[in-house]
Amino acid sequence: MPSARAVPGDPVGATSASAAGASSAAPQTSATGRALPSPIDATNTCAACHSTLTDAKLRAPAKEFSTSVHRDDRIGCVGCHGGDARDPTAGAHSKTMGFRPHPTSAEVPGICGGCHSDAGFMRRLNGRLGVGQAALYGLSLHGRLNAAGDPMAPNCATCHGKHEILPPASPKAPVNRANVAKLCSGCHADAKLMSKYDIATDQFSKWEKSVHGVAFAKGNPNAPTCTGCHGAHASAPPDASSVAHACGRCHQDEMGFFEQSVHSQGFRKRGIAQCVACHSNHDVAPASPQLVGTTSEAACMKCHSNDEKPRKVADDIATLLRGARDRAAEARAAVARAHDLGLHVPGAAFSLQQVTTAELKVRGVVHTLDPARVEAGVSEINSAVDATLKQVADAEKVRSLERRDYFIALALASLLFVTLALKALELERRRRQVKP
Amino acid sequence: MSAAEQVTAWVRDRFGWNNVVTALSVHRVPRRGFIFYLGGITLFLLLIQIASGILLVLYYRPDADTAYASVERIVGELPYGNLIRSFHVWASDLFVVCLLAHLFTIVVRRTFRPPHELTWLSGVVALMLGIGMAFTGAILPWNEAAYTNARVGSQLARYVPLLGTGLQRFMRGGDEVTSATLGHAYGFHVAALPAAITVLVALHLFFLSRKPATVTVLAEPEPEAEPETTDGEVDAEAIAKTAEANAKVEVARAALLRDTIPLYPDFFVRLALPITGVLVLIMTLAVFADRPLGAAADPALASVGTRPPWYLLPVHELVRLAPKELLGIDGARFLVGAASLLGLFAAALPFIDRRGSKITAYVAWSLLLVLIILATLALN
Repeated sequence: MPSARAVPGDPVGATSASAAGASSAAPQTSATGRALPSPIDATNTCAACHSTLTDAKLRAPAKEFSTSVHRDDRIGCVGCHGGDARDPTAGAHSKTMGFRPHPTSAEVPGICGGCHSDAGFMRRLNGRLGVGQAALYGLSLHGRLNAAGDPMAPNCATCHGKHEILPPASPKAPVNRANVAKLCSGCHADAKLMSKYDIATDQFSKWEKSVHGVAFAKGNPNAPTCTGCHGAHASAPPDASSVAHACGRCHQDEMGFFEQSVHSQGFRKRGIAQCVACHSNHDVAPASPQLVGTTSEAACMKCHSNDEKPRKVADDIATLLRGARDRAAEARAAVARAHDLGLHVPGAAFSLQQVTTAELKVRGVVHTLDPARVEAGVSEINSAVDATLKQVADAEKVRSLERRDYFIALALASLLFVTLALKALELERRRRQVKP
Repeated sequence: MSAAEQVTAWVRDRFGWNNVVTALSVHRVPRRGFIFYLGGITLFLLLIQIASGILLVLYYRPDADTAYASVERIVGELPYGNLIRSFHVWASDLFVVCLLAHLFTIVVRRTFRPPHELTWLSGVVALMLGIGMAFTGAILPWNEAAYTNARVGSQLARYVPLLGTGLQRFMRGGDEVTSATLGHAYGFHVAALPAAITVLVALHLFFLSRKPATVTVLAEPEPEAEPETTDGEVDAEAIAKTAEANAKVEVARAALLRDTIPLYPDFFVRLALPITGVLVLIMTLAVFADRPLGAAADPALASVGTRPPWYLLPVHELVRLAPKELLGIDGARFLVGAASLLGLFAAALPFIDRRGSKITAYVAWSLLLVLIILATLALN
């Protein structure tokens, strides 16, 4: 039975007190003679009644509500719309009971926040949910525009749905991690809508093709979607001073190394977006040695095309990275070749893992822009590669020894075969000579 | 006498070599026919398995956590470990092939009939044990293929009527394929089955020597009969009869000498030729046709295969093709039960087909065709 907490639009305790009385009342008919819901459904007569209506627009919410997380009788329709849930007639639409059929966009955050910001109330219904969503929303650009009366600004229902609110863990929920990018792009890819705010509309298409988008599509649980960088309720584009913190949530090593580099202070002074300056934001490409160097594709040349010292540093680092990449490829090719030959190279998988680990380390160290430190990282790669190549070489040596010994054994077996054949022929000859 | 001759003479005396040679020389086998060497080749393959198996078991660890790693070590780190393992794996397949071929030739030539019942029975039991050794051995590496073999192979046992569930639990060491299955397989493969197969093979050879199937003992001609005399007169008719009998024996003896060869040394020398060929074949396969170890068994992976070892493919296909129900019994159980009855019937062949009818040979060829078709369907 409903708790004693005041449901918006419902006097304290009125629901629970009256429900007991209503359950024993006889079935009623309305003034038009239509069959009314039985007293058993008295606690949510709204949905019970609306599901019998002929107007599809009025019937749909009842059907949608049946799958909602709010279908709990302690919340019900009155939780958002107010009114009297016990009254099976049109009297349920009582203004004195706070009935509001169509809350405005500006009213929605307050309605949702009325419960979702109340820790005591939420603790009883879902203790795992935080209670800061409304406050965070208020700080976000979405929230501020909504509070200023912008009818196009999204409110809670825009993302979570109105009557068919599903838990975020549900694969069908619009706010489920798998669906967030599509949800955000529903507005942010709409050129007509975004023209009012002078916001680009290519974020989704860029993200889809980026290394993050591709990893996400492959099911990588760590790949970020929109909320991963921009936040959910407090969604805001990170500015130049904070974008590294968005990236650094996952790429902690890189962020740490970057902060040791000369770029860190330099970017801050000049207001340059840290990670974005080289890696972009939505269309992040896979990190490759081409990013560093003095070629036209290198990020360094965007700013340092005419600076001698930075060019030298970029060139040195690029040379080291190229060498490391080639050596790592050499190790992988050797193991693949051994595998194709049917060679079993014990420890090869582990050795290649060490090569990969060393490569990943170097990717982080590169952000220090210190050739000496990069060289130290590259020497780790080289050691791991040398160990791998030695294992493959040992396996190949064993194989060649086996084959050499095979041909020796084959020669001996052939000799034996010939000897036995000659002996058999001799015995046959003797047998024929023997007269019975 | 030189030292070498003295040693040779000592060995011959202590082993009773001359008696052995005489006994073997008296036994003769047909001069032509490769099928007569199949039994010897099968025995040679068993010896290869025992020798290579002893070398492998020195480094193998029979625990689910360490089995695969120990085989990896054998293959990757020990000198000639990969070669010996390859030998063992290829020889195991060839062993099963030769066992089945040997049995098939015996059925087709109808040499199972009396007085060779015990030779036949000991051979059939040795065949079952040999297949058991191949099956349990395939589980020991505890790689993906081993896990599949254990799971799918023991699943087939479930369809044997009456005994199915118990047999499956016995094979698996429980309800599921776990480390207990590996322990069971190890115990059987290394101890129980080799002991049993050694006894059965010894019995098989013993019965063969007592009642040789294709071996004939050289008959001696009957001694010339004393001519009977009646009052001093020579019975010419008796003399003529004896001479005629002796002439027949001589003709038979001549035919025997022409068409057969002594077991020792002729047959053994000739047997050594295909054995050398088989040895070269296994060496070539072991060196050039590697049997990769693959990944370690991971019961959590759903991608583990669905085929049993090749010699169980016909049964597997039979179960797969079985209708839901046959005569009120589960279809798969019905068919596997019928196949089991056929197997029992085949084991009792000497008692059923005492004369060795040609129909038995035709049935054997037909069954072989059916098995090949089933195996081919299973592979597709």
